[in-house]
Amino acid sequence: MDALAGERMITYDARGLVEPDDTVPRVSEIDGDRAVFDAKSLTTRQINLELRWLLYEEGVKDVTVLNPGAKHSLGVGILTRCRITFDGSLGYFGCGLIDGPEIQIKGRVGWSACENMMSGVVVIESNAGSLTGAAIRGGDVVVKGQVGARTGIDQKGGTIIVLGRAGSMTGFMMQRGRQIFCDDVGPGLGDSMYDGTIYVAGKVKSLGIDCVPGEWDDSDTELIERKFRIYGLGKPPEFQKFVCGKKLYNYDNLEPSERKLVL
Amino acid sequence: MSVHEPEKTIALDAEYLAGHRFPYQEDIALVEDVDLLAATPGPDLNWLEDVELLKEDAVPAVFDRYSNSFLKIYFRIPEGREDEIARKVLIKHLQSGNSYGIHLKDKHAKFPQPELGPWVEGSTTVGTNWHPPVLDGWEPPDH
Repeated sequence: MDALAGERMITYDARGLVEPDDTVPRVSEIDGDRAVFDAKSLTTRQINLELRWLLYEEGVKDVTVLNPGAKHSLGVGILTRCRITFDGSLGYFGCGLIDGPEIQIKGRVGWSACENMMSGVVVIESNAGSLTGAAIRGGDVVVKGQVGARTGIDQKGGTIIVLGRAGSMTGFMMQRGRQIFCDDVGPGLGDSMYDGTIYVAGKVKSLGIDCVPGEWDDSDTELIERKFRIYGLGKPPEFQKFVCGKKLYNYDNLEPSERKLVL
Repeated sequence: MSVHEPEKTIALDAEYLAGHRFPYQEDIALVEDVDLLAATPGPDLNWLEDVELLKEDAVPAVFDRYSNSFLKIYFRIPEGREDEIARKVLIKHLQSGNSYGIHLKDKHAKFPQPELGPWVEGSTTVGTNWHPPVLDGWEPPDH
């Protein structure tokens, strides 16, 4: 119940869309370029305001957020190189729209974690919900637990690594990038994917439309070994590779503006 | 009176947006010292892994996602270094503050962010005092 204390303090505008109070709480303990603050009694907006104040105005490069309390939309829109540690779980839409941060989440995350991420690294120590890494364009997302459905939907770049099992329609409409699954994946893998590569070490319940086995080459081995090494994931298991069969779509026929959408 | 479709530009490139070419598009020596690992988060190339040498108007080019435009490369690219050189030209372009989107940030950024992006340490923060633009003579309605 204590975790709800911050949410109870929120007063919304007449449409119920926004917390009108945009005062930065300034509750952090700052030590050089490191800072730590307790988010237990703060609202979502206050936590994000505190993060931006530390990173953009106080020159802090390493922030630890204690008791995030699974609140939604934390750590979004951070557009600078820094390190952020969430000492607990996040709700939905955590760490979306980021460009540059290296984030560690010591608990679980809800749906749509890291959506539209441009660059950076997010390591989630436990499970993640559905739509993890939705529409990411770059950077690495590492989930050490399991993930829900539609991981990396509409992915346009970057790498998603999942150590546990993955749900249905994984890689749905994937357009570029790489997905590495170290355990079983559900039905509809890579359904309607345009491009990109999916690696699976466990069993695949079923392939989606136009997702086909790919031919392994040295660049695949280099990628897997490099990612496992830099994230300390041990010896990689043996993977199967899946790619787009390219029977459904052909980029050459697309308008230039549509082509740019996937670059 | 004749009626006709206005001329449309469908392929914007960085030169069109800036009005001129940049020296690093024509001289490989200006990009050789770019440190790609230092310019990206994490211990490997991170988002640059997805950046590769492409072609625009039959000219080698790299895509700048921050301005939705191609940056053409006019010098000879050594064989086997195509993607590396494309990445170096792009990072040089971004770090120099020449990407068109960066020019818009000072006036239009709505929330705090580094002006030159995450590629330059110590960049000025913009977007801390954004106010919605108001047309001259406009007054809010009574209701």
